Amino acid sequence: MSSLNASLASALSGLIADQGAMAATTNNVANVNTPGYSRQEAVLVASDPVVLDPLTFGTGVTLQDVESIRDPILESQIQQQTQAEGQYSTLASALQQTQTNFTASTGDIGTAISNFFDSINQLSTNPSDLSLRQGVLTAAGNVASSFNTTANSLTQQQTSLDLSVVQQVGQINQLSQQIAQLNTQVSNLQNVGENAGTFIDQRQQAIDQLSSLVDVSVIPSDNSLTLTTANGAPLVTGQQSFQLQTQTNSAGLHEIYSQGNNITSQITSGQLGGTLAARDQEIPAILTQLNTLAAGLATSVNNVQIAGYDLNGNPTGATSLSGSPQTPVYLFNPPAATGAAANLSVAMTDPSLIAASSDGTAGSNGNAEAMYALSNQAIIDGQSPTDYYSGIVFNVGNAASNASAEQTASSGVLQQLNDQRAEVSGVSLDEEAANLVQYQNAYSASAQVITAINDMMYATIQMTTLTG
Amino acid sequence: MRVNPDPYPDLLASVAQTQQQINTDEQEIASGMSVSLPSDNPSAAAVLVQNADQTSQADQFERSIGSIQGEMQNADSTLSSVITSLQQAISLGVEGANGTVNTSDRAAIVTQVQGIQSQLLSLANFTYQGNYVFAGTKTQTTPYVLDPSSPSGVTYQGNSGTNSVTLGNHFTLQTNLPGSQLFSSSGTDMFQSIQDLITSLQSGTGIGTAVTEVSNASSAIDSQRVFYGNALNQLTAQQTYLSTETTQLAQQQNTVGGADLTAVISNLTTAQTSLQATLETIGQTANTNLFEYLK
Repeated sequence: MSSLNASLASALSGLIADQGAMAATTNNVANVNTPGYSRQEAVLVASDPVVLDPLTFGTGVTLQDVESIRDPILESQIQQQTQAEGQYSTLASALQQTQTNFTASTGDIGTAISNFFDSINQLSTNPSDLSLRQGVLTAAGNVASSFNTTANSLTQQQTSLDLSVVQQVGQINQLSQQIAQLNTQVSNLQNVGENAGTFIDQRQQAIDQLSSLVDVSVIPSDNSLTLTTANGAPLVTGQQSFQLQTQTNSAGLHEIYSQGNNITSQITSGQLGGTLAARDQEIPAILTQLNTLAAGLATSVNNVQIAGYDLNGNPTGATSLSGSPQTPVYLFNPPAATGAAANLSVAMTDPSLIAASSDGTAGSNGNAEAMYALSNQAIIDGQSPTDYYSGIVFNVGNAASNASAEQTASSGVLQQLNDQRAEVSGVSLDEEAANLVQYQNAYSASAQVITAINDMMYATIQMTTLTG
Repeated sequence: MRVNPDPYPDLLASVAQTQQQINTDEQEIASGMSVSLPSDNPSAAAVLVQNADQTSQADQFERSIGSIQGEMQNADSTLSSVITSLQQAISLGVEGANGTVNTSDRAAIVTQVQGIQSQLLSLANFTYQGNYVFAGTKTQTTPYVLDPSSPSGVTYQGNSGTNSVTLGNHFTLQTNLPGSQLFSSSGTDMFQSIQDLITSLQSGTGIGTAVTEVSNASSAIDSQRVFYGNALNQLTAQQTYLSTETTQLAQQQNTVGGADLTAVISNLTTAQTSLQATLETIGQTANTNLFEYLK
């Protein structure tokens, strides 16, 4: 047989459970705009019944848990996509900056090369004219400075990307530390059976941030998790975090070390992956092509220059008019083995030294014509200078365009995944409003039941008083 | 099914995307170009680099033609003056050959022919912009100087060099004829013929032969003058060709890199409408949730 006291206890359990559910709802409403927050749901279960043979009586309700609603598979997909998005957005913005060096302008390399050959063509019409010769020297100077400016700008960009590498490694270390601390808090709570949802949300948020920086792989374990880079360099193991180090290499750029191992080339994803790809692959590839072009152009022009005669009839090659050896008179300083583009410079200041003549007379333009012919000859890797340069422009544009397309695609996918995550975990104010009404009503009802039991008890007590 | 309760990130991303589209369209309209960065269209950007180079080359060829035209026109008219002078010498020679002319009259004729001789010398030493035009490639050296020891009375100090200038893809033009070829060819040596005319007038014998010699020299120069006429015609033809090429290059530049304004403006209008719609959606979304109705 049941008792009024038992009913009172049941009604009370309803009040408590509804208060708890109300707290979950309130927390959800409060966190409606908190990034990374997963909505919480009160898990209500019927309390174990009491069997008083032959009847079974319910004993009310228990608030078993306040559960955070999330989809772990979705979370891991978001991490991966965040890595890709971080990588491509960093790469795309680096290449956007790179390609501004290759837009058509009055000072770009292509225009400078065209103008240089144009000036030689003009000289060819009147090879003894000093002002036309000066025009060639000026145009050659512009070629040199356009190469210098472009190469220096790329190197500067490389340096600033290098600075980003150091900053990003710093951020990674900070996040690893934070995640290790959150691991501690999560396992402390979970070990005593408490809901660690808030800390798990914060940890997830930190992992997402870490994913945008570097390729992270997450290995969950009981109450904790381990984070490594995709290639296994440890970042967080349980409550311990491992710092990445940076160290400058011979080129003055920072390499990344984990536990003494150089892992620079293994990092391919996340913002750090994108930064490294721009710093170590894209920009050096463009610089290499610029160096090939600068060195090829300077050498070809020099080879023609030293095969002729200057305005005064002196040979410009290695043998003087009298037959004795002499220093060849170059137009460009012979290119260095490295950094040809950055160091390209004009060797002469006296325009009369330009070897326009092929026979030693002041009026001969044979050698100027030979020099002009270089403009359409396959002197750079089987291509004419302009064709080779247009190839560089294509490569730069293509790399930038591909990175942008990848970025657009990955941010689109990321947006969809975040939508899906919000479908599962996002706080809906409509839902919370409905819950609020529901729990409020239930609370009122339970309170009403208690009032009724109170009345019944009063009646019982009155009865006793009358009898006694 | 549960729906995403927070549409703002999507809506804002859509606003950003549309805004980006509007910026791109506006930039294209302002510049008239669809390719302002290599990444806008890498292949087109590469073609535009080559196009710019070819345009620059064509413009230069036109400038070079302008420079050469001046020199060649002047050379041509100088040769015309040379022929006129030689015709005068022939007339004087014919006059001197007439039996009625006495010695003193012939002496006067000799003086006139000598005047023509020095005129021819200065014509053969014609300079254009500081260069001796008929000195071969020794353009800084006076080609003809008086030389009493020489049978022709002059010595040629130039050379037989010629220059050719590239004035188009696969078009190269020879731009000069050396004096050695024009005036001093063996058999039709102009100075020799004038010298012979003077000598014959002075002696009174062989005047007719000398006149024939001068006449031969004159027609030889006249036939060589065709070179300049042809070259000038070729320059004019090349100018026409280059201006067509420049037009074609400009068309190619426009085809490859120019903005399709009709399409761009239509896109821009669509994007603006879409932006407005998205913004209105955001404004309305803000007002709907159940809490509003529970007051």
